[in-house]
Amino acid sequence: MNIDIAGTSLELLPERAAFWRERSTLFVADTHWGKAAAFRAHSIPVPYGTTDNDLARLSAAIGKTNCRRIVLLGDALHAREGRAKKTFAAVAEWRARHADVEVVLVRGNHDRRAGDPPEELGIRCVDAPLYEAPFVFLHHPVASTQGYSLAGHTHPAVKLRGRGLQRATLPCFFFTPTVATLPAFGSFCGNAVISPEAGDRVYAVAGDEIVAIPTVY
Amino acid sequence: MNAWFASRGWKPFRFQREVWDAYANGESGLIHAATGTGKTYAAWLGPLLEWMTGDGETYPPLRVLWITPLRALVADTEQSLRTPLKDLNIPWRMESRTGDTRASIRAKQEKRLPTALVTTPESLALLLSRPEAQEQFSHLHLVIVDEWHELMGTKRGVLTELELARLRRLNPNLRTWGLSATLGNLDAAAATLLGDRAAGARMVRGVVPKTVRIDSLLPEHMDRFPWAGHLGVNMLPQVVAAIEEGATTLVFTNTRSQCEIWYQAILEAKPDWAGLIAIHHGSLERKLRDWVEDGLRAGTLRCVVCTSSLDLGVDFSPVDRVIQIGSPKGVARLLQRAGRSGHRPGVVSRITCVPTHAFELVEVCASRDAALAGAIESRFPVERPLDLLAQHAVTIALGGGFRADELLAEVRTTYAYRQVSDIEWAWVLDFITRGGEALRAYPEFQRVEVEDGVYRVTNRQIARRHLLSIGTIVADASIEVRYLSGGRLGSVEESFISRLRPGEHFFFAGKSLEFVRVHQMVAQVRKGHGEAGSVPRWDGARMALSSELADAVRERLDQARRGVFEGPEMRSVKPVLDTQAKLSAIPGRHELLIERVETSDGHHLFFYPFEGRLVHEGLAALFAWRLSRLRPITFSMAMNDYGVELLAPDPAPLEDALAAGLLSPANLVDDIPASLNAAEMARRQFREIARIAGLTFTGYPGQNKSVRQMQASSGLLFDVFVKYDSGNLLIEQAHREVLERNLERSRLGQTLERLSHSEVRIMVIQRPSPLSFPILVDRTRHRLSSEKLADRIRRMTA
Repeated sequence: MNIDIAGTSLELLPERAAFWRERSTLFVADTHWGKAAAFRAHSIPVPYGTTDNDLARLSAAIGKTNCRRIVLLGDALHAREGRAKKTFAAVAEWRARHADVEVVLVRGNHDRRAGDPPEELGIRCVDAPLYEAPFVFLHHPVASTQGYSLAGHTHPAVKLRGRGLQRATLPCFFFTPTVATLPAFGSFCGNAVISPEAGDRVYAVAGDEIVAIPTVY
Repeated sequence: MNAWFASRGWKPFRFQREVWDAYANGESGLIHAATGTGKTYAAWLGPLLEWMTGDGETYPPLRVLWITPLRALVADTEQSLRTPLKDLNIPWRMESRTGDTRASIRAKQEKRLPTALVTTPESLALLLSRPEAQEQFSHLHLVIVDEWHELMGTKRGVLTELELARLRRLNPNLRTWGLSATLGNLDAAAATLLGDRAAGARMVRGVVPKTVRIDSLLPEHMDRFPWAGHLGVNMLPQVVAAIEEGATTLVFTNTRSQCEIWYQAILEAKPDWAGLIAIHHGSLERKLRDWVEDGLRAGTLRCVVCTSSLDLGVDFSPVDRVIQIGSPKGVARLLQRAGRSGHRPGVVSRITCVPTHAFELVEVCASRDAALAGAIESRFPVERPLDLLAQHAVTIALGGGFRADELLAEVRTTYAYRQVSDIEWAWVLDFITRGGEALRAYPEFQRVEVEDGVYRVTNRQIARRHLLSIGTIVADASIEVRYLSGGRLGSVEESFISRLRPGEHFFFAGKSLEFVRVHQMVAQVRKGHGEAGSVPRWDGARMALSSELADAVRERLDQARRGVFEGPEMRSVKPVLDTQAKLSAIPGRHELLIERVETSDGHHLFFYPFEGRLVHEGLAALFAWRLSRLRPITFSMAMNDYGVELLAPDPAPLEDALAAGLLSPANLVDDIPASLNAAEMARRQFREIARIAGLTFTGYPGQNKSVRQMQASSGLLFDVFVKYDSGNLLIEQAHREVLERNLERSRLGQTLERLSHSEVRIMVIQRPSPLSFPILVDRTRHRLSSEKLADRIRRMTA
């Protein structure tokens, strides 16, 4: 689904990524690579597969968009204990498959403790914010005087109610007049329900589709 | 011993002598009788006689272990066991061991355990996790398990079974005696208690229970009495009058929040009773509860509003009246609570039920019928929960380590794990050593290590975390409530506190409190000024109507359909049943009533099998799933003890589904797991399993943020396991537990068998009937959908 924002347009993908066609850039927030590995290191036996699955989804998004660049909006790695060989091997393999795609990480709070991804992965790491008109790339969803913020961090989800006492909570893209928050990309992540106000725009990830959610109802 | 009894003006009962003799003979067994009938001394005096007539060793090492389900009972038990020791000059050291035990006593016990020890299953697990355990428990003669009926149907009961197996292995001649209330299946009680030694167990029946009087307070105006609700405070004037009649009254409520609300209501109605009435429930600080219990014993309290926290143990002789707010939901519970009154000889136990809505009058009537017919419920044992087996294996790995084949042989002597397979055992070992199946070993994982065939825990951090999470009772993250000045009040669920703003008032521990702030995992409060405020809700399981009681309710309704209204309750509720008959119909014994009604919420279908909430939960998921196969549709489901509601935005294809076998017991094997997954029931059940198996961890007291990074919700873990490790036996266990524990699989099958032979009566009604009303207003709902998610979301937001 294409939406107009800050005088340009973004395509929201059900893979939980946003594509900026003008600059051939894919935005992804909160991958939390190695989170399951960190749990295992604390002797909580979470199965393998989450990171592989997430990387496959990221490849799908690259295939769909033919992007030349990926901007990770923080929290690429979950924790220092999650810097497992196997996790990095999976990321390296993924990286090799898309060697021609530039990858930039705008560091988030988890990255500070977990450290940057290994250099050989070829991921350029920078501190937030990164300015690229009309946008500001950062991790914490805060407004900026330099442009419209694209961020992550909160893992936004929207809670819906419908006739027949129906309810559903879905991960979402959350656009306020100054900041856009992307859904958490990592599949082993919880989320936090947002409270949109008039003027905000919300797009839910409903399976393999994006659905616009009216914010006043 | 006879002389001692005579000195107290008693005479031993025949059943007590029988137990003493059997004990002297080396036998084990089960004593069953109502509470307060001398079971304690039947079990306790055997080993004392043995000591007096035998060895007379001066300061024997640990000989008798007394296990009680509630920490709250420990002090009283200790006191009543101590009396004969003192009178008979037996120089045994007698102590207790619980989470409350003082550090100085703990330290003494580390060196040497007393001759007799009173403890709980969880504290015993902690003792068994110490390397000295093998030596310390090796002189044990006897284990007594008190209130075994409370434990046996739970995972705590299974924990006790595992501990008993351990102790029997250390002492092949160990004798085990269980004390139990009367149950429908005493054989199972003995089988679970004694494991592979159950054959030849001595079953001793205590004194026959005294007469019980069951009556109810009737609403004055039935036309103004509500059709739904669970608080019942509109009956306040009658309840206050009833309290005034008695000297000391216990008012039982079914939930802790109901308890708080009733306490406030009574105090408002009778402000001059301040200081004479008290509140007692499981979330209150120990000291407050002790004060209440002392007051009850001394007879200084006029009335105590309580929950199941006062169901067990402790005799309160001054209590002469018991009031039950709402239906007791089961015959055994009704009789147990009735037995709390009239402890003096020749006095009749009396329980007065207070309906919270109209149909509860039918339940009271039905429970009297069932009690008269002696239809006491059974407790069904839990079968081989692997989460607990994993926990126990880690405990033993801490307590000196184990060899795999030896521990397997040991756990197979329990009833719960008698059929645990080699594959399951191998899986448990893999789970605790590698985190999962051998093929997908996680190198970074390490909980239990194997060296020369011996399984041990060496990592101190893992040991510490395991000890903190031992125990199988699932509690939500709770937070302590304290005055700013430090005084402790008890604990409430974190989710309740998180909704409060500073300055807001709430009622807790029978007091109006002002919330100040949360500081280091403690909710700080100050005294309120009586402002109105909310009452915390605790997320306990709601009690379900037992199958015995459900059957009696169906019978009473069938009579009503035929115009027979016997007993004061049935006569009182007649106008409501008449309305039901006029608007819809009263279901007959061999009918299944289905009501269809449209409201502003959508299209409702009500089914009335009258089988109790648990069975209905399964039926709701099954019916919704089968209906949703016919066309894309989304249901929200609610249920109570009488029936099931399926609510959808559009009319459901009921007739087509009935023709296609909606009520059929066929294909259950496939349909049930599918419907449970669709309705997310297994996902909810996984919460408890994840905690027991050590997947989720509630944290250290005062933990810091970095620990939080290692916390994930059990729901998230469930999803990850289902997707990436579908063979995980803990997931399979979640399914099994939903089926067997929550839904009582056999009962579900039997119900469908019955329904498929019932005459289906579909009533299309213009407005909700009295029967449907309590379900209709219930907002805790499960959901199930066969619509494509995106389509469903579009329709919801259209």
